[in-house]
Amino acid sequence: MPRRTHARGRGQDRRPQRHKDVLHGRGGHRAHDFRCVHCRLDVPLDAPGTAHRNHCPHCLASLHVDRRTPGDRGSDCRGRMEALGVSARPDGEWMIIHQCRSCGELSANRIAGDDNALALVRLVLRPLTDTGIARRALLAM
Amino acid sequence: MSDNTTHNILQIDTFACAWCGLTVSAVAADGTRRNHCPSCLHSRHVLDHVEGGPSRCHGRMSPIAIAVLRTGDWMVVHRCVRCDELTSNPVCADDNQLILMRMAVRPLAQPPFPLEAFGTL
Repeated sequence: MPRRTHARGRGQDRRPQRHKDVLHGRGGHRAHDFRCVHCRLDVPLDAPGTAHRNHCPHCLASLHVDRRTPGDRGSDCRGRMEALGVSARPDGEWMIIHQCRSCGELSANRIAGDDNALALVRLVLRPLTDTGIARRALLAM
Repeated sequence: MSDNTTHNILQIDTFACAWCGLTVSAVAADGTRRNHCPSCLHSRHVLDHVEGGPSRCHGRMSPIAIAVLRTGDWMVVHRCVRCDELTSNPVCADDNQLILMRMAVRPLAQPPFPLEAFGTL
């Protein structure tokens, strides 16, 4: 290790640090993102196709923060909500049905344009892939 | 009218469906308690799931989706047409299979993205 011979005297004429325009800390360029509780993905809030993104586009998990109406932030549960199924509106738009893992509450949210298509299709096909009820229903028809 | 329906459940164990008017016995053939019509799968909003206890809404609840439990059992997800609350109930053995299957494949009829790419996966 090199010996500092003039450690005291050099502090005064030191050049100040340069201004940094990239802010990684709180309030920086990712202040409005949320981090997915399931896969830890940093998700920006502006989503293509919807103004109310509430679930991770990668794993479709969400967080239980709303009480009755979406956006009221009235719930103190903060449990993880997992995608339970997909429902189609009369106009054909898909909604993800979420269920809270800690209190069992259900909620519905429109899908966004960048949601994982493979995860969505797996969710839709889940009732049809299990062998029992779907096969019996199709045979009974 | 809604008070009439609850009275009927308590006294003679039948209720009239809010959508198709079918008179349904409140106990299914295997002894489990029924809460939706086996013919059209519609239900009535009598339980408040956010705060617990009975609900004063009494709106009609229409089936919107099928959910699958880890055990492989199907649940019907209902949505109240008056206050938009969601509930999930297990399917009964004598529920209308045509409506169940129609709800399960309904999203695939109008996919938001082309499904052809999944054929190569």
